[in-house]
Amino acid sequence: MNNREEEMEIQVRIPTPLRKLTGEQDVIKAKGKTVGEVIHWLTETYPGLKERLRDEQGELRRFINIYVNDEDIRFIQNLETPLKEGDQLSIIPAIAGGSFARRRVTLTFPPKLIKEPVIYNIGHRFKVITNIRSANVSENMGWVTLEIDGEEEEYSKALHYLNDIGVIVEPVERNVIE
Amino acid sequence: MSYVKCLKCRECKREYSIGPTHVCEFCFGPLEVVYDYEKIKENLTRETIEERPKSMWRYRELLPLNGDPSVGMNVGYTPLIRAEGLARALGVKELYLKNDAVNHPTLSFKDRVVSVALSKAKEFGFRIVACASTGNLANSVAALAAAGGLESYIFVPYDLEQGKILGTLVYGTNLIGIKGSYDEVNRLCSEIAENYGWAFVNINIRPFYAEGSKTFGFEIAEQLGWKVPQHVVVPMAGGSLITKIWKGFKELEEIGLLEGVNTKIHGAQASGSSPITSALKEGIDWIKPQKPRTIAKSLAIGNPADGHYALKTIRESGGWGEDVTDEDVIEGMRLLAKTEGIFTETAGGVTVGVTKKLIEQGVIPRNESILISVTGNGLKTQEAIQDRVGHPLIIDAKLTEFMKIFEAKQKETESRIQITI
Repeated sequence: MNNREEEMEIQVRIPTPLRKLTGEQDVIKAKGKTVGEVIHWLTETYPGLKERLRDEQGELRRFINIYVNDEDIRFIQNLETPLKEGDQLSIIPAIAGGSFARRRVTLTFPPKLIKEPVIYNIGHRFKVITNIRSANVSENMGWVTLEIDGEEEEYSKALHYLNDIGVIVEPVERNVIE
Repeated sequence: MSYVKCLKCRECKREYSIGPTHVCEFCFGPLEVVYDYEKIKENLTRETIEERPKSMWRYRELLPLNGDPSVGMNVGYTPLIRAEGLARALGVKELYLKNDAVNHPTLSFKDRVVSVALSKAKEFGFRIVACASTGNLANSVAALAAAGGLESYIFVPYDLEQGKILGTLVYGTNLIGIKGSYDEVNRLCSEIAENYGWAFVNINIRPFYAEGSKTFGFEIAEQLGWKVPQHVVVPMAGGSLITKIWKGFKELEEIGLLEGVNTKIHGAQASGSSPITSALKEGIDWIKPQKPRTIAKSLAIGNPADGHYALKTIRESGGWGEDVTDEDVIEGMRLLAKTEGIFTETAGGVTVGVTKKLIEQGVIPRNESILISVTGNGLKTQEAIQDRVGHPLIIDAKLTEFMKIFEAKQKETESRIQITI
């Protein structure tokens, strides 16, 4: 076993309802060579997580789904699923929703687009969901900070569309908004 | 007067106060309505029920509203018929059909769940209701929202049967066709539900919505003279109906209106969308999601929300499950139409086909009482069967023309009889 393998870091995406227990972190760099080891590392590091992820018998709770790079671990080797450098692990409540990424951008509108229903249009044309977090629109200029949910492909199509019609799109650092 | 106590997580049993919420904050399990059965037992008798108007609301004590229903007053109490013709065709002694193909107002069992969901949504103060649907739910939400003065948004896979699209649009709703499977529609709607403050009948209103299905079970028991059949066959999509029919029987037993519930509940799926029956046959208690491919679009759910509980119901009741091919689905629809004069949708074809299969396998003994759940209407899924029912004979308006055809028909019948002999 070489050092590099022992210190292998796995990115774990934490769903919103559990972020209170991870100090509001949505992505955690965890350690472990299998899914089980990563879960163990997480529950040791963030004590409150244990009872949320495992039931009284220590089994993974039925309505917690775990994905390795978008593949459900029940279709791989469950908790025994081996991990390699760069793998991404997602913890997703089964009923509460899908494995969507949530991204935030600031859109700056030139005057000619102020009266256009741009945000409605991207929700209408692409499979993305928009949520306005803050905004300031005057007669000549406007900006909106937007949370955009959706799969990678749809998200990037939406951004291309915004660019094409002349909206300036800038990514927002997470902590700027909340 | 309400007998509802609280919402309770089906997994970790944590309790929540009544509100538009469906997931346990702690373990992410689904929430379910809890009633005070002791009090209901003191106040509800068979006679009280029998005196009430013939709708699903005659069982209102066992439904989760605070006040009177405000949407769907006339839903339910559909015909339960003894099916002699189909019994002969299947070679069984005692067969019944519970026919929600003629449920009011949109011809499927979904009117039951939607009338509870929308009445509850109004109690909560919502003005906009929404749903993710494979079609029947879309029809029902659109119609009942219109009747109840609510605005509605309805999300469906874009390639639904024409009848279901038209039968939604006509009510003046906002219909959104999603380029994807129902599972993708459903996933998207969970996200939309989080971002918009609407009453999504099968998401944040789901605990209340699902309770409406129990009335299908209550009616079976009452219409059979407060008895239950030995076997009930139920189509499974999301897996909710089957669990609620069983819950309905058990509740009637709990409050003393029914004795000795020994029904075996059997689940029916199409082979092209059979995550629940596959798990049953493999003996596992979790669901492997599938990508549905079947003409039974109303059952085409590859990742059923209540799949785990459907499995549990089947196992707990001692029932079994099967799935049938699209060909068998069409045969099932035709058999029901020809023997009983009931035109059911593809889902009904699935249920008839599976019943036949379970009888042939000996899982359902031929001398025991059986009930087939018919949950939707064939006029909504005409595409599935339009090439399989023949064509009208077109003639000129002349008697001789008709006589020619009639003679030919008679010869055909005679030769068929001779072959049979």
